[in-house]
Amino acid sequence: MLQILIQGLLLSGLYALIAMGFTLIFSIGRVLNLAYGAYLMVGGYIYFWISQSLGMPKLMGVAVAAALGVLMGVLKYRLIVKTLKGDHVSVEISTLILAVVIQAGIVLVFGDSSKILLPIVPGVINVAGASVTYNILIATLISWAILLGLYAFVRLTHTGRAMQAVSMDAKGAAISGIDPDRINLITWGISGALGAIGGVFFASYTQLSPSMWVAPLIISVAVVIVGGIGSILGTLVVAHIVGFLEVIVVATLAPELRGVFTMLLIIGVLVTRPQGLFGREEL
Amino acid sequence: MGLRWYHFALWGGLIAGMFLLPQVVSNGTLRTMIFANYLAIFAISWDVLSGRTGYVSFGHPFLIGIGAYTTAILTKRFDVAVEVSIPIAVVVTMIAGLLVLLPALRIRGSYFALVTLAFMELLYQLVQVIRPDLTGGTRGMSGIQTLTRGAANGYYLSTTLMLAIAVSMWLLMKTRLGTALSAIGMNEESVRGSGLSTTRLKAFAFLTSAMIAGLGGAFYVHYLGSLAPRALFDINFLFTIIVAALLGGTSTIIGPMIGAFFMTFLLEYLRPVLPGAERYFVYGAIALLLYMYQPKGIVELVRRGFKGLGKGRTT
Repeated sequence: MLQILIQGLLLSGLYALIAMGFTLIFSIGRVLNLAYGAYLMVGGYIYFWISQSLGMPKLMGVAVAAALGVLMGVLKYRLIVKTLKGDHVSVEISTLILAVVIQAGIVLVFGDSSKILLPIVPGVINVAGASVTYNILIATLISWAILLGLYAFVRLTHTGRAMQAVSMDAKGAAISGIDPDRINLITWGISGALGAIGGVFFASYTQLSPSMWVAPLIISVAVVIVGGIGSILGTLVVAHIVGFLEVIVVATLAPELRGVFTMLLIIGVLVTRPQGLFGREEL
Repeated sequence: MGLRWYHFALWGGLIAGMFLLPQVVSNGTLRTMIFANYLAIFAISWDVLSGRTGYVSFGHPFLIGIGAYTTAILTKRFDVAVEVSIPIAVVVTMIAGLLVLLPALRIRGSYFALVTLAFMELLYQLVQVIRPDLTGGTRGMSGIQTLTRGAANGYYLSTTLMLAIAVSMWLLMKTRLGTALSAIGMNEESVRGSGLSTTRLKAFAFLTSAMIAGLGGAFYVHYLGSLAPRALFDINFLFTIIVAALLGGTSTIIGPMIGAFFMTFLLEYLRPVLPGAERYFVYGAIALLLYMYQPKGIVELVRRGFKGLGKGRTT
């Protein structure tokens, strides 16, 4: 019982970290970034390349991954989202195509076989009979730190409040002297960085493979849909729902069914309460 | 209905050309053409729903997979004749289509795309766990009865099926029903405002799409003789279908066909250069560039080209 609690808490922390960048774009830019899972993958692979293939310090690997994430986010906003003028369907489709292109690019550079990432922070600690790697413990702590930081940033800073304004009404924000274009650019950058950092931890939790981007994308989708748009609190709560659901299913039913209930949750919530559990009334 | 004599002449030319093809090209090319035919069927099915009404479906592999699995299980595990199992597969797919339809009545846009994606992933995971003795679990099934032998026969069968679907969809879309479906894609509110039941129209589009997907999936699995969950319920498969429809040109019938043939042959020609999944890099990049440049697809490019020519002559 305690074991489920600990495992669930840790996994949920990781999921919250993964889903945050996706939520951010969906809340402020109002577009679904289906290539988000590919950010995670690129982040994980870049970290792998720098820290394990080149043997550079691990922190540098994380930093380069985050920088590349920012670059990818900004480029995608400039080259794709802005060119398509925020047409939702076109953005979704082109980000899906982009995700497949990135996946193929990874295969081209790193090969088809999956790779094991060494833990970022090695070591295991025993908590109440459950063995917990420092790796996932650190991921959870970082996830909480980033979440709180993001919450403070959005609530307290000028840029953060401008982001809120743009997410509510881009036109109104523009009238009040906010440049929605700049805010969007910042948002895409932050989202890219969050995705890449989340990817490093996710990759060390599972392993690196060119098809690893689908699972975190589905998790992010579940979190953002069930949590509702524009709700950081919702993200946190739902990441825990999804994480605990998975841990409980693995522990009590069957490991193969771990994703099934996440999917059912998405479908169920979308059909009964399309605005999400915590989101604003919309659609 | 806006039918002109040259429409029939063009269709006739296409049909005659496609049936004469086995006389001139090699068996290898024919095998590629068979895949292009099935992809064209799937792309038409996607287009009937998503291209027309604007409800982007990310779950078409879900429908195709249900059709394929139903007929495969019936013929292999229960020794049902193919003539019976394929119609059953189509009906089952249509029922599954209704299941996807229910959420669509309430939600739209991005959310609908996500629900369909969730349905696809759900089935991918379920099919491996629930009754593996029937579905073959993770490894899938092989040794499913095939309908034809030899490249030429398979080609004739798939071409007949594809052209029959294409022509009937073309005729259907020429009717007022087809116009109403396209109108939903433009502005659903005003369609409702004109006194039409959008729910019934959408239900019709869903069922038609599911029917074609089930038909295509069932025949496809009886051509391949095997199936595996990761080959069917896969984002790459979904990507191929959507890209084929988009590149050719949505809201047309000839568009998805052109797109399917273009993409299949592009992949085939890339095979000697890039043998593995890396091909999707080139393929996807071309798709993305073309889509960014002209979201209406090749059909629109050709149409503009002809317009340009016409102008050149008159001035």
